[in-house]
Amino acid sequence: MKYTHPALLDHLASAYVLGTLGGGARRRFERLLHDRSDVRMQVALWEARLGQLAVSIPERSPSPRLWSAIEARTRPGPAPAVTGAVAPGLRWLKPAGFGFGCFALGVLALGVLFVSAPALFISSDQLAMRSGEKLPQSYVGLLTDAQGQGKLLVSSLRHGKTLTVKVIGPITPPAGGRLVLWALPASGAALALGAVPSSGTAISVLPDTSEKLLSQVSKLQVTLETDGAPAHPSGTVVFSGNCAKLW
Amino acid sequence: MPPDTRTLEMLIAAAAQGDHASFALVYQRTHTHLFGLAMRILGQGQEAEDVLQEAYVSIWKNASGYRSAVDGQTIQAMTWLIAIVRNKALDALRLRARRKESALPEPDALSDDGIPELPGSAAPSPSALQLLEGATQALHIAGCMNALDGSHRQSLALAYYQGLSHTEVATHMGAPLGSVKAWIRRGLDKLKSCLAAQGGLS
Repeated sequence: MKYTHPALLDHLASAYVLGTLGGGARRRFERLLHDRSDVRMQVALWEARLGQLAVSIPERSPSPRLWSAIEARTRPGPAPAVTGAVAPGLRWLKPAGFGFGCFALGVLALGVLFVSAPALFISSDQLAMRSGEKLPQSYVGLLTDAQGQGKLLVSSLRHGKTLTVKVIGPITPPAGGRLVLWALPASGAALALGAVPSSGTAISVLPDTSEKLLSQVSKLQVTLETDGAPAHPSGTVVFSGNCAKLW
Repeated sequence: MPPDTRTLEMLIAAAAQGDHASFALVYQRTHTHLFGLAMRILGQGQEAEDVLQEAYVSIWKNASGYRSAVDGQTIQAMTWLIAIVRNKALDALRLRARRKESALPEPDALSDDGIPELPGSAAPSPSALQLLEGATQALHIAGCMNALDGSHRQSLALAYYQGLSHTEVATHMGAPLGSVKAWIRRGLDKLKSCLAAQGGLS
């Protein structure tokens, strides 16, 4: 089956989210979902559509034990009561115990790496990336405010057509207008990369691959625009930063 | 202590930074809704609680995976949570079907509307179609969706609210499989256009 047709992808995404895409088709679609950001976006949009239908489902209360079970599996570190229970005379043991724990963990991690090493080394970039040894070739930008506080992390795979904008410092949503992200090439006109969210992470589709759009771009900036779709930056510059190649 | 005024989106962002207290608030604010959703698909019993437990552990671990906007469209945090729970509930349902070595529900295990009977629940559960009507009214798309044939709406409702497969919907409705597939597809297309017309997701 060809997965290039937008209407087909939209149909598959809707059936996947609804749950009616079954068997082999579901597994093939899940592989596609793993590999392609445009497919993940289609799925996210269908999740947003179908998720709204859940509004009418009556609420129910699970047993109070459920939260305890979730808490036990998610609360980071040892519970405070346990830490406090160590006798004063034995306190010196704690750092040593911790150190040994780290050492044991390191040995374990190394062991796992050795066992899986053949699989890691026979393959290419992608496996190296998945094992965490290497970052994929991407364009990245870090934007700060006038005081140098980090505000936005912008990233896009070199040959991808998806842009991710992550808010890393608190942003006060502007009272009027909206925040627009711009790519400023060394020469030529600025290119609007889309609106900036006030929190969380936003993804959007680029008109072309980032290699084509961003290879000559060294600066990024965010301006406050009142026009709905400004052709060039005209408002106040709110954040700015460099755009760099991650390879 | 004054009630926390942070939005669900902010709490998830804080949880992504490792703030467990914010994660506890996410649970507090959403678990009854999400448990209702899991129970709707899986019926009463331990399975729905197990699914919810797995879902919240996964939410805690992948809180940084939440995307607040996709292609310029705002994605509510609740949408993201619903998708996680629904996927896990559907996985559990598929596993149950495989274990039974039969994808078809026993006819007598279903009420008239294809809802697994919930033993011990005092109030009768609304039917899938009633839930769809309730939702389309709340979303102000009831008029638009009612342009669809009743069987189209019924098949979409059974697939969404009961997690039934194409074959199960066909069996339940006593309709040919091919027709049911077409009905559900038309139902989804209609939902998309109705929401877009309402100014929602295009």
